[in-house]
Amino acid sequence: MTELLVKNACVIDPIRGINGEIMDIAIRDGRIVESVSDRAESIDAQRCLTLPGGIDSHTHVCGTKVNFGRYMSPEDMRAGRTQRRGRMHVTSGYYVPTTFGNSYRYSAMGYTTLLEGAMAPLEARHTHEEFTATPHQDMLANTLFDGNWAVMDAVREKNINKAAAIVGWTLNAVKGYGIKLTNPGGTEAWGWGEDLTGIHEHVPHFEVTPAEIITTMIQANELLKLPHSVHLHCNNLGKPGNYQTTLDTFELVPDLNPDRQTLYATHVQFHAYGGGTWRNICSKAEEITRSVNSKPQIVMDMGQIMFCRTMTMTADGPMEFNLHCLHHNKWSNHDVELETGSGIIPVTYSKKSAVNCIMWAIGLELALLTKSPWQCLLETDNPNGAPFVKYPEVIGLLMSKRYRDEECATLHADTEKRTSLCALEREMDWHDIAVMTRAGQAKALGIISQGKGHLGIGAEADIAVYPIRTDSVDPAREYRKVVEGFQKTRYTIKRGRVVSRDGEIIVDGANATFWVNAKVPEDLRMENDPEFIKRFEQFYTVRMSNYPVQDVYLPRGRCIETEAFT
Amino acid sequence: MRVILESKVRSKPNLPIEAEAIIPRNFLKGTDLVVFEGNKERTLSDLFWIFVEGTAVSPENIEVVLKGDTSRIKRVGEYMDTGSIMISGDIGMHCGNFMSGGTIEILGNADAWLGREMRGGTILCRGNAGHYCATGYRGEKKGMQGGRVEVFGNTGDFCAEYLAGGEVQVHGSTGDFPGVEMRGGQLIIEGDATRPCANMKDGTCVILGRVYEMLPTFEKIDRRVLPEWKIMADVYKGDVANRGKGTLMIKPPGPV
Repeated sequence: MTELLVKNACVIDPIRGINGEIMDIAIRDGRIVESVSDRAESIDAQRCLTLPGGIDSHTHVCGTKVNFGRYMSPEDMRAGRTQRRGRMHVTSGYYVPTTFGNSYRYSAMGYTTLLEGAMAPLEARHTHEEFTATPHQDMLANTLFDGNWAVMDAVREKNINKAAAIVGWTLNAVKGYGIKLTNPGGTEAWGWGEDLTGIHEHVPHFEVTPAEIITTMIQANELLKLPHSVHLHCNNLGKPGNYQTTLDTFELVPDLNPDRQTLYATHVQFHAYGGGTWRNICSKAEEITRSVNSKPQIVMDMGQIMFCRTMTMTADGPMEFNLHCLHHNKWSNHDVELETGSGIIPVTYSKKSAVNCIMWAIGLELALLTKSPWQCLLETDNPNGAPFVKYPEVIGLLMSKRYRDEECATLHADTEKRTSLCALEREMDWHDIAVMTRAGQAKALGIISQGKGHLGIGAEADIAVYPIRTDSVDPAREYRKVVEGFQKTRYTIKRGRVVSRDGEIIVDGANATFWVNAKVPEDLRMENDPEFIKRFEQFYTVRMSNYPVQDVYLPRGRCIETEAFT
Repeated sequence: MRVILESKVRSKPNLPIEAEAIIPRNFLKGTDLVVFEGNKERTLSDLFWIFVEGTAVSPENIEVVLKGDTSRIKRVGEYMDTGSIMISGDIGMHCGNFMSGGTIEILGNADAWLGREMRGGTILCRGNAGHYCATGYRGEKKGMQGGRVEVFGNTGDFCAEYLAGGEVQVHGSTGDFPGVEMRGGQLIIEGDATRPCANMKDGTCVILGRVYEMLPTFEKIDRRVLPEWKIMADVYKGDVANRGKGTLMIKPPGPV
């Protein structure tokens, strides 16, 4: 039995409605409890800001795509090098660091749970292997279904039960957590050398439209009672004028679940562009947020970009090809058999580029214009918009109008004309930030019941103590202190153990991987479906029996069981 | 001031020594420097007999002389900005990395990566240089950006890869792919070369010897006299495969 007592913590816990109360937190065996014995080790938080451990609801840190990013940019491995020290492994890399680099830096920032945004089912083994090498965060893997042949067949037959059964079988086989759709239909079309420009166009050879895929998958998701909703990367990413596609997509979404959203739209900054060309691109954040404000069934995240050199990696192959044509830099393109594809290219976001400046402004506008912080979460689509180490700066920008104005003064002159950022007076408070970095994520991902994102009795003891005194720091003026404070926690506690102190990792990690065992009625199971088996054996390069990920790949797997539908 | 470092006989002479500490500026404060032999930390005096002649008040007056078996000493002169280094024998890999000023003279041969990502200064190599002489590093878009590298012997493959500025002169021949991905600067090869300047973007390359396997993606635009060498040379533009604007000048074979 290990016990720990965090004293004098200034707690903000939005899920339990606690906002800045000074309290003690008792921990026993990795869970938060009412009280502990006198023998418990204690930590004095000195009235510093104490939040539940951070949760990143969309990041790319593990898997083949990320690893190919590492292959492709040996120059990045020269940055961010740290030597082996105490419990810490060697790390290197800045925008695509080694797995331990990711884990340590996230831990230093107080993050304890990560959702890998896109795992190709066929390449799940690699992803799970990297999960075990990201030891200080609990991991979840969104599984790609955007170009899954079997799913598209079910969509064409309008057979929601079958789509749900395929999702259930696949999640179970690859130990995935939720449904991710990346440019639904478009990635498959790219496999045939084409791309889709609207959600009502037909995918070649499959006679389904992205809109049909999205609506069917939403219903299948709710039928399976998955903890997370459908996680959507909309069509037409990064094209001027794409906001209309995004709005049309939002219109498709019914409100089906009282506990959480029905659609999680990710990195919406990349989907909120007006204009028609790169020359007249402008912000349509107002239209997007107006739609989101009126639709509680939608949660989005920012996809903020920050000015730096980074790597874009996504399952959206055609988009990456378009970017490659723009930059003439190195490019990788990949097709994942019957499932999806991917593309990777390096980019540099520069203050000299009007387009980049507008993108930067749109991300912030989305967050500031969305009324409820529960509906617009903070992330950069790491590393696509910026490496996650930039989160503290994003927090600073959201909390301080002065910081935004100072940044705007250094940007391209067109930024002010083509966005409304400079007119926005809103400054977020500590509570809003706590929602946007942990509570909102926990709710959106449906892991509150797993004890994530709050500090109630029975919750997992994932706690971040930041060296910030909320009573004496005025974030609007002293934004530098805010940024510095969020860069390094005083303590990051993971399952009741202090893992990071002042940015230094002090123990070996022991993370868990959450996955969903989605139950499907006996008569619908895919392993009994001769047609599915036949297609599988015919088209895949692996046998169906070799496809499921063995338990050995998840040494600390945690299964979430769902109820079977009828 | 002159600092003479004479290498001691080592029980395992093949173990590389990482000696980025050997730059003239560091000797201003004494000779108490740290180098690595394999993965073991050593002081300079563990590996060298050190003789110091005279004194210096500024680093530009410091000359470092390396004697004895120095062929496994790596990264000598890394980030050097002033002063001079004289190497009487061979030198190991990565000599003169990121150098921005001063002079390095090598009387023997240099191993690979001589003058990698150099910014300024001069390197003279009296013998041969290995592969990747005066280049960039893996994945990096810009190689050598300034300064001068002169090799009196031959170089290995990929000489002056990603050259972006400065001058590289090879009196002997180069191996495969000299000047590949060049985007500026000048490369002069007085001997032979194979497949020169592939995917060149900009800059100038002159080859006085024989060219083997000339790439088909260079467009011949002119024939002109090069007064410096008193020869007629064919002038090519390329690499047209990627809209490059580099200039490649080659002395045609046979009497002209």
